[in-house]
Order: sequence, then C-alpha cells, then structure tokens
Amino acid sequence: MNPLISVDQLSVYSKASCLVSPLTFNLHQDRPLTILGQTGSGKSLLAQAIMGLLPDSLRIKGKVSIFAKTLTKQECRAMWGKELVMLPQEPWHALDPLMTSLRQVRDVYQWVVGQTEHTANSSAMKALTSLGLDKSADKLPGELSGGMAQRLAIVAATAGGASLILADEPTKGLDVSRREEVIRLLQDKSQGGGLLTITHDVHVAKQLGGDIMVIKDGQLVESGTVEQVLSNPQAEYTKLLLQAQPSEWPIVDRDPGYFAKSDRIMQTEALRLVRGGKTIIEDLSFTIAKGEVVGVVGDSGCGKSSLGDALLGLLPLEAGSIERFDKKAKPHQWLKLYQDPPSAFTGSVSLATLLDDLVSLHGVDQARIRPLMTRLSLSQEILERTCLEVSGGELQRFAILRALLLDPVFLFADEPTSRLDPITAKEVTMLLVELAREQDCSVLLVSHDPDMIRHTCDQVIDLS
Amino acid sequence: MMVSLLKHATFGQKCGGLLLLVLLAFALFGNGLAPNDGAYQDLDAILAPPSETHWLGTDHFGRSMVARMADAIRLSFMLGVLCVVTSSIIGVSLGVWAAWSGKKVDAVLNVFVNILLALPGLVIVLLFAAIVPGSFFVLYLAISLVQWVEYFRVVRAVTKTTVDSPAMQSSQMMGFGRWYLFKRHIWPAIAPSVFTLATFGCATAILTMASLGFVYVGMQPPLAELGLMMVELFPYYSDAPWLLAEPLIAIALLVLGFHLLGRKSS
Repeated sequence: MNPLISVDQLSVYSKASCLVSPLTFNLHQDRPLTILGQTGSGKSLLAQAIMGLLPDSLRIKGKVSIFAKTLTKQECRAMWGKELVMLPQEPWHALDPLMTSLRQVRDVYQWVVGQTEHTANSSAMKALTSLGLDKSADKLPGELSGGMAQRLAIVAATAGGASLILADEPTKGLDVSRREEVIRLLQDKSQGGGLLTITHDVHVAKQLGGDIMVIKDGQLVESGTVEQVLSNPQAEYTKLLLQAQPSEWPIVDRDPGYFAKSDRIMQTEALRLVRGGKTIIEDLSFTIAKGEVVGVVGDSGCGKSSLGDALLGLLPLEAGSIERFDKKAKPHQWLKLYQDPPSAFTGSVSLATLLDDLVSLHGVDQARIRPLMTRLSLSQEILERTCLEVSGGELQRFAILRALLLDPVFLFADEPTSRLDPITAKEVTMLLVELAREQDCSVLLVSHDPDMIRHTCDQVIDLS
Repeated sequence: MMVSLLKHATFGQKCGGLLLLVLLAFALFGNGLAPNDGAYQDLDAILAPPSETHWLGTDHFGRSMVARMADAIRLSFMLGVLCVVTSSIIGVSLGVWAAWSGKKVDAVLNVFVNILLALPGLVIVLLFAAIVPGSFFVLYLAISLVQWVEYFRVVRAVTKTTVDSPAMQSSQMMGFGRWYLFKRHIWPAIAPSVFTLATFGCATAILTMASLGFVYVGMQPPLAELGLMMVELFPYYSDAPWLLAEPLIAIALLVLGFHLLGRKSS
C-alpha cells in the first residue's frame, strides 16, 4: 500500500542556517505518526512544509509527496479542507470570534463541500450534536470553554471531509482531563485516513500509538514504534523527556508529622470567592504551616489563581476570613510567581538593574546573590540582558532568585511552569520546592497537572 | 543616550531630525546673512529678486526676507516647543493620575476632557485669539489647552494596562514605591507614544499659528510670522512669486521635518 504522505530528505533552511535537518518518513493509512520534541525544535516547520504553508523567507530541500504525487503549492492548496487539513496550535485562536459555533461549521459545508445553505445547516447541526455541542450552537467562541472550543475547531476543520490530518500541538494549553477527549476525537476523525501529530507531550504519543519520531533542534534523535521507543528509549534525550513527565518525577516527601510541630503561618475560614458574579469557591477552610508546600489542582477556570490572589490580598473576599500568624513578616515577604515570566518583568532595563533596584531598596546582602544564582544555574551573563532576551526557563529562575532574596514567608506560584518545556518545567519546579524548603518558606503551588502536585506537595487542595 | 537614540532611529527619522536641525540653525543664525535686521526698510529695493545682498529678496516694504524668514521660523519653533512641553507635561501627569488613582479621579477627569473634546479645537484657539489679538502668550496658552487632551487620552489608556500588568503588580508587592513604578513601568510604556504625539503636536501647533496668522487673527504686523507673511505677500504673487513661495516652503519643511521625526518604523 502506498503511503499517504511520503517525505524524502526534507530539510528547511533560513538563509544559511539549517532549521530542520534532512528527515525521511512515511505516513500510512490508519497508522498514526507522532513527532515528539520540545518547543523550538522545528516540529511546526515540518508540518507547514508538508502543507505548503511555509513563509517565503524559508527554503525547503527534499521531496514531499502526498497520495504518491509531488504537488506544487497551488495543487496542495486545492486539497486543503477536502483531503488534507492542518489543525494549528491552540486552534481556538483559529476560530472567528464573531461567528457562532454553528456558522463556523456551516460555512465549511457550504463553501468547501458545496452544499446548499439549507443542507449545510442541517449537516452542521448534526456534526455539532454528535459531539454534544448542540446546545452551544448559537454561542460565540469566547463563550465556550477551552475544551469545547477545541472540539469545535476540530469539527470545523474536518467538516470538509479531510481524513488526512496534521495536528500541531493539539493538547497545548488544555487541562489534563480534556486531553483524552481531544485525542479520541482526532483518532475518530482520521479513521480511514492518516494522522500526523506534533506534540511535546509524551502522553499524547502513548495514547495515539503507531509510530513516533523524537526530534531535537531540528535533528532526528530516535524513531520507531511508540511501544518500542517509549518503553525502551535508546537516546539520552528521549530518556530525559520521559523522566520530565510529572508522573515520573521523584516524590519529594517529608515526614508527615513534621508540620504538626511547626508553626502555622496562615489559616482560612469558610472562604468564598466570587468572580464575574459567579461563586467560584465556596466554604473553603485550610491551614498552611511554615515551610509547607501546598498544591492546588483543578481545571482551568475553577478559581485556582483567584484563591492564591485572595490569600495575598490582591482579591477581595466575598465571605470568610484569612488570618496570618506571622506578625513579624513584612508585606514584601508575601510574594507571587507569575504564570508567564516575560509579562512579570519590565523590559525597559536589564535584569542586573532590576536586581540592583531590589538590593538597594531592601538592603539585601550582595554576597547572597552569587551562590543563589549558582544554585539556580543562572549565569552572570544573563544579567546583562533584558527580560525579553532570555528564555522563559531562565526568566522564571530569575524570578525565583528575586523572590528568595527577600526571605519570603509565603510564595504563591501561579502555574509557574505551564509555559515551559517539560524538561525545564521539571528543573524549575524541583528547584523551587527545594529552595523554599531550605528557607522554610511556605509555597502555594497551583497547577492543572495533578501528577505534578502529587509529586511535590505536602498538602493538596483539590478544587475540581 | 544620544548614541543609542541615533542607533534606533529609522532613516526617515534621521532625515527629519537633520531637516529640523538645518531649519533651526537658519532660524538662529539666519539674521547674520542679511545686511540689516528684519525691520529695516530699504526703499531702493522693493520686491527685489534674490541677489548677493538680499539672498532671499526683499518684500513690499523693502525689508530683507532672509532676516524676516529667520525671525518667523524662530517664532514658530518657539511656539511649537513651548506648546509641546506644556501640553505633554499636563497631559502625561493627568493621564497617569487618572489611570492610577481609582475610579473617582478618572471619572471627573474624563468628564472634563470630554467637554473639551466636544468643542472644536480651532474654535477655542480662535476665541482666545479674538479676546487678546496679537498676543503670543495667549496663542500659546490656547494651543496648549487644546493639545494636552491627546496626551491625556493616550497616556491614560496605556497606563491603565500597565497598572494592571503582572509586572507592575510584582514590583508593587516587592515594596517598590510610586516613583519607582512610574520610572520603570509606566514611563517606558508611554514614552514612545508621547514622543510621537509630541512631534506631531509640534507640527500642529506651528500650523495652527500660521492658519490664524493667515486669517489675520493671530500675530499682528509688523511681526514676522509665517502665516501672516503669506497673506501679506499674497497680492504680489505674479510680480514676485518667490516671495510667496518662501513662507510656504518653510512651513511645509517644518511640518515635514516633525512628521518624519515622529514616524516610527512599522
């Protein structure tokens, strides 16, 4: 049987530099292929090259044939939607924010498939109903939850009848509980066709099965069947990726009796929080001991971040009370780590200036900076740059450095690693927990990944 | 500071800056090129074409055009810069105050600004000019009063997003004071827009003064002012077309220079 997509020695160049080194692979019918690798490893370029979507500034070498034919860009374009379709990253961004769900799907039936308006309408309704989206037919994408928007995007993309699907990070930004649903939907839609998935998530690869290719910096590291590669990885990099999955992390545990003896730092009583007129948290009481790492889990929108903000006094309480026991701690010792590191820094000055500002404001001992930077594996050079010129992982570690220099008693880490790659995420989280324990600083760690929380926290608050 | 500014400037901005520098140099030292000052009448040379003694010719009273043009451009520059400094200081401080000090201040300032916006700017300036005709100070006051509103609106909008940003919240939690937050967070965010507004505002102020001069309610003769010179020299457009062309070109170059300087690379 001919492969659906056959890629022969495909490489992508930007001017002189090579972004993706020559790759060769085949995608067969009903045998999913997963490309696994970190962000910036050239995975997305590969999908764009196959679709004929690469920007003109990039050149490709090698051969791509779809259905055993080498196609020009125009021929490729003619197949979009009908036979070949690509789901872009975070597909809800690809939905028209001003069109109702029904119309997004109906337009595909009407203009791509060529049905009359009436038939298109009923086809669209049928497609939505089959996914339980019929009640949301008149809603705009902004009114849908992340998972629903994701399903809608997949329905709209595949409505044209394409069975050859290229999915670029289909689960990025989705809650763990929504992941499986999306994967099942993708499998379902690609039946009788092909599915090429690009992801950094080992779980996705495991569930899809079929073949896998591990890519690092545009180079093929390892390939084979999923079972073979994931259960018996040969390359060092694959092993690292597997170990970086939260479920594989070492459990950082402390003697459960430890906190019974130590002081309490904060206690909440019958907490109630309201956001946008909706009660998101009701009757929540808990105690945080000094040096304790408290994990908060729950799906997005359940009020995890609001809880942290309320504890820091950034959000008013609707009912209940929060009592702080550490009377000696100054206001600047209750701190927060942000989800998106670049947005939490000003890009106007270098990191060194930011650090100097802090040192002069609070009279921090200069001698503490260097050892702590070494612990956080931050090099001195990054201080010369601004926050926009360093990587997300480095910046988050710098944020931890800045926070720890103030000897915090309580640190609210709001999904501090959700924008980072798995390997970096593991490093950063582990360091944060380790250093907080050393300084006897309590941490409220918010995450949508229950595995991560289970492996790092002393107490878990489940909001779902 | 200067070096880094030059490095980041686009080609257009460099051209604009150079053009303005040349005009400024002419405004400051142009009098030296004339045999007499701008008020001296050489009645033997009325409407004289450009020559070695009178580089730009003489007007209908035999006054040296080089000296008068230098005077007029200097006056335009002075007004432009004064208006920009005044209106930007008022606009930026009120804008930051409105965005930062809670809903009440914001609401009051907004009502005030909306009232100002409802009145056409030129009408306010005309009104002021009609009350005290020929006063440079009143003209400057009126134009500044109209122009600060632009700074206010832009600065308020940008500051609002900055105040809500995690970056500023984070600095605030670390105990940094208001001045620090302004210096590190708000000013870097608003500075590019303020600079663009300032250059465009300068051009608008100069044009406004010239328009008022042209309809004879701005500066009064015998003062040299670009708009006034246009209307004074208008009757001689067929006898001495170069005379009318001079203030026209000067004002076009001034506006062009400021607009080039303010244009950011897209």
